[in-house]
Amino acid sequence: MSFRRKLLLVFALTVFLSVAAVAWMVSLVTRRAFERSNEERTAALVAQFQHEFRRHSDDVVHSVEAIAASEATTRMALALNRSSSQSAGYLNEATPVAESHQLDFLEFVDARGTIVSSAQSPAKFGYPETSLANLPQLVAKPAFLKQEELPQGTALGLFAVRSTTVGDKPLYVVGGKRLDRNSLVALELPTGMRAMLYQVSGAFFVPQALIDASGNVKQPEALAPLILQVQKQGREFTQLMHWSSDPADDETIHAIPLNGADDKTLGVLLIGSSRRAYVEVKRHIQSAAMLVGGAGILLAILLSSWAAARVTRPVEQLATAAREVAAGNLNTQVDVTSQDEVGELAEAFNRMTRELLEQKERLVQTERVAAWRELARRLAHELKNPLFPLQLTVENLIRAYEQSPQLFEEIFREGSATLLAEINNLKQIIARFSEFSKMPQPQLQQVRVNDLVNGVMRLFQAQLQSRNGGGIECRADLQEDLAPVAADPDLLHRAVSNLVLNAMDAMPQGGILTLRTRQNLDRQYIEVSDTGVGLTREECERLFTPYYTSKQHGTGLGLAIVQSVVSDHGGTISVQSEPGKGTTFLIELPINLDKLRAPKESHSVVTTRSS
Amino acid sequence: MRLSGWRWLAVSSLLWASLSAETRPQYGGNLRITTRIAPSSLDPADRTQADSVARQNLDSLMFDTLVTIDNRGRLQPALATSWKAEPGNQRWQFWLRRGVKFHDGSPLTPEAVAASLRLANPGWNIVPANDSVIIVRDAPAPDLGAELTREQNGIAKRGAGGSVVGTGPFHITDWQAGKKLTLAAAEGYWAGRTFLDTIEIEMGKNSRDQLIALELGKVDVVEVASDQSHRASAEGRRVVSSSPIELMALVFTRERQSPDEGKLRDVLALSIDRSSIRGVVLQGVGEPSGAILPSWISGYAFVFPTDQNLTRARQERSEIRQVPVWTLGYDANDALARVIAERIALNARDAGLTLQTTTSANADIRLTRLTLTSLNPRVALAQVASTLGLPAPKFGTGSTDELYQAESSLLQTQRLIPLFQLPVSYALNTSVQDWDQDLDGSWHPDNAWLGSNRP
Repeated sequence: MSFRRKLLLVFALTVFLSVAAVAWMVSLVTRRAFERSNEERTAALVAQFQHEFRRHSDDVVHSVEAIAASEATTRMALALNRSSSQSAGYLNEATPVAESHQLDFLEFVDARGTIVSSAQSPAKFGYPETSLANLPQLVAKPAFLKQEELPQGTALGLFAVRSTTVGDKPLYVVGGKRLDRNSLVALELPTGMRAMLYQVSGAFFVPQALIDASGNVKQPEALAPLILQVQKQGREFTQLMHWSSDPADDETIHAIPLNGADDKTLGVLLIGSSRRAYVEVKRHIQSAAMLVGGAGILLAILLSSWAAARVTRPVEQLATAAREVAAGNLNTQVDVTSQDEVGELAEAFNRMTRELLEQKERLVQTERVAAWRELARRLAHELKNPLFPLQLTVENLIRAYEQSPQLFEEIFREGSATLLAEINNLKQIIARFSEFSKMPQPQLQQVRVNDLVNGVMRLFQAQLQSRNGGGIECRADLQEDLAPVAADPDLLHRAVSNLVLNAMDAMPQGGILTLRTRQNLDRQYIEVSDTGVGLTREECERLFTPYYTSKQHGTGLGLAIVQSVVSDHGGTISVQSEPGKGTTFLIELPINLDKLRAPKESHSVVTTRSS
Repeated sequence: MRLSGWRWLAVSSLLWASLSAETRPQYGGNLRITTRIAPSSLDPADRTQADSVARQNLDSLMFDTLVTIDNRGRLQPALATSWKAEPGNQRWQFWLRRGVKFHDGSPLTPEAVAASLRLANPGWNIVPANDSVIIVRDAPAPDLGAELTREQNGIAKRGAGGSVVGTGPFHITDWQAGKKLTLAAAEGYWAGRTFLDTIEIEMGKNSRDQLIALELGKVDVVEVASDQSHRASAEGRRVVSSSPIELMALVFTRERQSPDEGKLRDVLALSIDRSSIRGVVLQGVGEPSGAILPSWISGYAFVFPTDQNLTRARQERSEIRQVPVWTLGYDANDALARVIAERIALNARDAGLTLQTTTSANADIRLTRLTLTSLNPRVALAQVASTLGLPAPKFGTGSTDELYQAESSLLQTQRLIPLFQLPVSYALNTSVQDWDQDLDGSWHPDNAWLGSNRP
């Protein structure tokens, strides 16, 4: 991973963790504040309901007391006291009285507990009032919750019982108001809150029995477990309801049991508090956190880019420069743009490259001097050989002229021949040097390497077989279907020929000469192996130095020429050898067909060129 | 004679004259009637609305039948002056009264009578013949005369646009369907012009509103609900009641599907406390009845049991494993019906049955009032069978025993549970004089007239 990315990652992570931590803390604080507020609102609403409950209770008690104390009730009690058969005439008595006192329920019950008249259920006349266990005990009590059975179902109401006594027989007045939707409408509900009322109807949940201020509740079955739990255990419970997959629709439901006179749960009041506000705040926090985080990361990118620009770019420049230097371009310098550590590093690099350049130049000069010395040594050595016989011959001629004039003519003819031969030798030596000094640039053509190698083998075939001291077996191991390469056929032929000659020189007693060719991707390889005396490691290292030779004769330019030819073709030459195990030269050539100006394939191998 | 004696004579003569004037019928006046029914059509042959005494009375104001029936069940001449039944009672001939005209002035002809009767009785073969009409039935019809007294057989002439004209004592001057009917006396009525000039009938009024209107003097004749008649009388109002003529019954809307269902219907019948309902809800009006025909018509209604028997009801109920929940429908405009229906539901619950009361028209059981359309018991019974969708009972001899068997067979279908026989009652304004009403509650306003405090 690059330094810039690491820097970016560190900055981004720092920003992310900071923002996440702050967002989490804010969310936590918000949630606690919301829950506290929710509890307070719920408690307030419950208190309000209880206040309404007490108010309704008082209203009911007052109304029932008024009815019980009224003249009409007294007359009824008198008539019933005289004869119970009089009750038939009072069948419809309760309805108008209930209407006038705004009561939803009203019954007149005689001393035996039999209903004389019922406003809510006129047909119940003559039936015992079974829903109230002990009427006399309830007379003095405040209003209580009771379920009233109606023709169309049951209803929950606040009831009070009072009586009027004529003689020894009381007439009971049981009046009440319905606890229904209107009771919930009277509540002032804060935003996001709602109140629901469930009327208990047996052990099983009845969806229609759950109402709110607007009527029936949506998805009532979802509240069934909570309601049944309250109903069963008779105490308050709170539950978080998930109405949909959107958390904003969640609602905290607080369920409170409503008990009757006998402490049996007759209804359940549910206070719902929407979590929408909290969820929306939370979402806002998250959005803000994401926004800040995003901005932070953007800032991190900018900062990291700026930091990278200040730090990594000089480092990259240094790296690039180093690669240039490694490639051999010692003139590479980097810009020093600061005075800090990076600037010092750049200056150090520049100093280094300058010193390297100077050292290289010194080395080149030294090598040039060494090469000149070697050349001079070689020249001296090469020239010394023919010059000594020249000198001897001339001295013989002088002596003969002075001492043996009669033999001078014969000596002069012999001496002249020797002089001419050595002068010819000198000319050859000079020609070789001249040839090496002006090695031509290769003229690239399409060349089939196998054909070239075959040509070289044919050229030396006779020589290989007629060697004194034993023939040399020539073996060819040529990969078929080699692609043509871009090469100068003459120069390449010469190079291969030089290697063959060296191989032959290395096997004076005979041996095996092997020529191999192969291709690997875009490179072709020519291998010349012998089973001669082999070379030491030091000899291998100096093998390609011009004028170096391990032979007794020779200019030492042969392998230098081979190396020069191979190098001019963009290839390389290497050698593997061990003393006594022969030597293998390996030429590696690029195919380089794209370098050809015009396709020009040479099918025949080589035309030999005199050196 | 002394002067004081002459003065006394003069004054008493004047008094006597005024009193006599008050008791002598007077022509003129507008009789105002309210009724609970609100028919959409005045055609007597249109029986899409339920039969009732009120409907019968309305029809009788505008249309005449060939014959009428008296309180003893005897046929009396009306548009037909005489009749004859061939042996076997399949072929009857009715001779028409001469000189009778429809309210539009056209004469009453045998063709018109035949056309009217054919419309009301498509299965009859009716042939006009000279000044008579011949009716031929597929089977013996000994009670054809009584059938002809039913208001659906009122003779009417139908015109374009659904208009109808009759031959009755009043003709139509204004008709607002379901709301108001205004009639005027037919000047050339064959039985003599009535004393009243006009009759205004306001329809669709409930009992309470009718009584209030009577109290305020806005109407002259109102219907009184059964449970209000005693109170109305006790409060000094003039109330005239018929004999029990309306059967209040529970009618099952379909045949029993299984023996178990038959048993459950039995349980329901046994659970009903008619006595309490009559004593309290009906305020003692009417008679508990286990029969279709009232005792004063059949003479044997007491034979059918009416007492509640919860013990037996519970026992029979326990023999049934699966008990459905029945719905009991009642007329939403009838407060009395609501209380009775709820009471019956309570009684049924005591026996272990669940009845849900409803005002919906699609109920398993309906609390219904069946009006007896004829004082002829066989005709009345046949009409009840027809209402229930049951085959009409066949009568041969017309004996009481035969009648009893027919009624028993009808009850054994368990399509209905008779509850009460109720009278129809009317409260009258003090100005209404000589109001005539038969035992079956049918009006005879021919002789009615309005006294001094008429509007």
